[in-house]
Amino acid sequence: MTILDAHPDTAVAEPTAALEARDIVKRFDGVHALNGAGLSVRAGEIHALLGENGAGKSTLIKILTGLYSPDSGSLHRHGEEVEFANVRVANHAGVVALYQELSVIPSISVAENILLGEQTPSRGGLVQWRSLRRRARAQLDSINQRIPLGMLAGDLTPVQQTMVAFARALATDARVLILDEPTASLTDTEIKDLFAVLRSLRERGVAIVYVSHRLEEVFELCDRLTIMRNGQTIMTKDVADSHIDEVISTMVGRSTGELYPERGTATTTVALTVTDLHGRRVKDVSFEVHRGEVLGIGGLAGSGRSELLRIISGAQKHVRGEITVGATSLPRSPGVGRALDAGIALVPEERRSQGVILGSSIQDNIALANISSVSSLGLVSGARIADITTRGMHDLHIKARSPRQPVGELSGGNQQKVVLAKMLARNPDVLLMDEPTRGIDVGTKAEIYRLIRQLAAGGTAVVTVSSELPELIGMSDRILIMHEGRISGEMLAAEADEEVLLAYCYGKANEHDDHE
Amino acid sequence: MNMTTTSNPVLEDSADIRTTPRRSVGQMLLSSGTVLALIALIIFFFAMRPDVFLSFTNVKNILYQVAILAIIAGAQTIVMVVGDFDLSVAATSSLAGAVAASLMLGGMPIPLAILVALAVGLLIGLANGLLIAYVNLSAFVATLATLTSVTGLAFIVTQGTTLFNLPAGFNALGQGKFLEIPLPVFIAIAISLILWFVLKYTTLGRRWYATGGNVEVSRLSGVNVRRARLLAFTIAGLVSAIGGILLTARLGSASAVQGDDNLLFSVAAVFLGMTIVRSGAANIVGTMVGVAIIGVMSNGLNILGVNAYVQQVVTGLIIIAAVTLSSLKTRSR
Repeated sequence: MTILDAHPDTAVAEPTAALEARDIVKRFDGVHALNGAGLSVRAGEIHALLGENGAGKSTLIKILTGLYSPDSGSLHRHGEEVEFANVRVANHAGVVALYQELSVIPSISVAENILLGEQTPSRGGLVQWRSLRRRARAQLDSINQRIPLGMLAGDLTPVQQTMVAFARALATDARVLILDEPTASLTDTEIKDLFAVLRSLRERGVAIVYVSHRLEEVFELCDRLTIMRNGQTIMTKDVADSHIDEVISTMVGRSTGELYPERGTATTTVALTVTDLHGRRVKDVSFEVHRGEVLGIGGLAGSGRSELLRIISGAQKHVRGEITVGATSLPRSPGVGRALDAGIALVPEERRSQGVILGSSIQDNIALANISSVSSLGLVSGARIADITTRGMHDLHIKARSPRQPVGELSGGNQQKVVLAKMLARNPDVLLMDEPTRGIDVGTKAEIYRLIRQLAAGGTAVVTVSSELPELIGMSDRILIMHEGRISGEMLAAEADEEVLLAYCYGKANEHDDHE
Repeated sequence: MNMTTTSNPVLEDSADIRTTPRRSVGQMLLSSGTVLALIALIIFFFAMRPDVFLSFTNVKNILYQVAILAIIAGAQTIVMVVGDFDLSVAATSSLAGAVAASLMLGGMPIPLAILVALAVGLLIGLANGLLIAYVNLSAFVATLATLTSVTGLAFIVTQGTTLFNLPAGFNALGQGKFLEIPLPVFIAIAISLILWFVLKYTTLGRRWYATGGNVEVSRLSGVNVRRARLLAFTIAGLVSAIGGILLTARLGSASAVQGDDNLLFSVAAVFLGMTIVRSGAANIVGTMVGVAIIGVMSNGLNILGVNAYVQQVVTGLIIIAAVTLSSLKTRSR
């Protein structure tokens, strides 16, 4: 069926579009991940897909490649409506996504990686090795790569692995390539190589969707850009007509509203001091948090913000540096138990794999961090568990059938409240929260913001990591931004400006402060 | 849904948390395919041989036959609660029995020989625990390795033969009776009760279940998961040794491989038992149901004159049937 028959009144699908997505809506558990998202990429262009974390880029990509199916909306190839029931169907239609982390199978050779699965030349079930090598070599030659065919893919450098993944995509005759953060782990020279290959693919008429947080790259490489925000496509524009400031402000948008409670509970008593902390990614980090203060920490994924919280909470070892709670200095890498005893509690990033035991009941989960306070002489008191559970469920408004209900049956917001209840039962002096509202609906988000402020008003020092700048500004008193393991900027939330914060996120502090 | 609009969003029944009815043990058992399988087996064998199967003597026999397996399966339950498993439990029990026998034949007093044998089991468990919790070997690799070495040690201790002529006082532990019921039955019941209590009511049991539920969540909640796993394997080693010593006393002899069947049966019993609770976690009550199934099967087929090899085939099939039945039910929920 052609698009003209299906939508006589709406705009006609772009006939030149190698791949177009229109009015895509996708909900997860009733929450909109995409609500009117669209993208149109032409043959022979490199098209940047931009947006903040949580804007819906990755969900859109997964729909483009058949990993998810949209609740409504349509996909078109050259104006013709298509349905991608799964990844294979999308691949057959020439649409291939390359993800940073699963680009190659490390345990088999380069040649086999290039001609995987159905592409492997075989006769009567036997692999035709000579033909395999010849065709693999031809694919690598076409993108000017000299990678030994017999090497194990796992022994290649990241950029070589990316190249092998390209060669594989080309071997399947991909016409639309979707690249998700392809330069995240590459050096400058490797990026140059990659760009050269991308440009040659563009010459060959391949349509490329390029997702990146590095705006400079977008302006260097791409022809057009599409910006998403809150699950919607906001605009599509020629890169030549765009300005980086305009792009940033469009990505960020303008809306906070009454979501956030009032500030002003900070005291001058220091609750937590971190001095010269070094970890795997974290470098030279020093800061203080006061009682009653909410400190927000921002930065891009991989900037070291989660590691910082994990180190302070004792969950991860650190190389050097000092952590002091109140007047007590913690020993190096104390372990979670001792950090908890010292008054530091962490609400971790991944709720389902780090926060709650999904198969266990609410009360068992809450008891988990409080085993010593609900027991005496090694025996657990059911009554005391019931006490702290009732209190937690009441204080946090946890909606559940009973305290014995498995946490896995609760909604995401209620699961997060269970994690909070578990940690709050310890009465921590310092509460660390990593993405406390990720995947939670707006109503529960507001509740969590209020709770954070209540805790602060009660004298708790709260440190929250968030990828969402509006949230960071709305709920914090003060904001630190991390870039490549270091603190790249600091601002009072009341004076904060999203564009400046985003610039800090990209490590561009100096443009706004002083010169380099 | 915005829960802030509700004045008391916690539902009514949470007001009386302490009296919220737990599913009663009876309900729990009846809702499980595994328990139904056990009941079906009992009815079947009773129907086939009404004169023999449920007689006092035969029931006593079944209990006697499964007592050692119950102890080994108890040990296996602990490690499976923490989310691991232990391939070396049966080999450890054989070695402990062999050590006790060999020491007594060498003239060591009975209590001392038993203590040394228990210590051997404890040390093997400790080694497993160290390898798994601290060296980060997988439980499969670590316990397969100790299984191999421990079996070798048992052959060395027994010099490849069967040790017998053990002191009568020692054999009485396995062969003596109290109220017409063999002592190992009482010991197995006592150990099961202790393990049940530890798993259910102690902080250690909490930590074990938490670790088995999710290692990372437990660690981030301040549970010392390494120590929890170390203790689980150590105690499993100790309990296995108790089983092995009792087996030696029951048989009045010790050989290097006499407990080997108990490995697979112990794992099977725990798996069967995991099907009777909603959470699907290893638990002592369930394990004992599993042990009972295995015991009833083997005894019933014996009474019917089915040969041992066929028994083994049928046991496997019953395990598949019971676990499949339970998982079908879980899926339909």
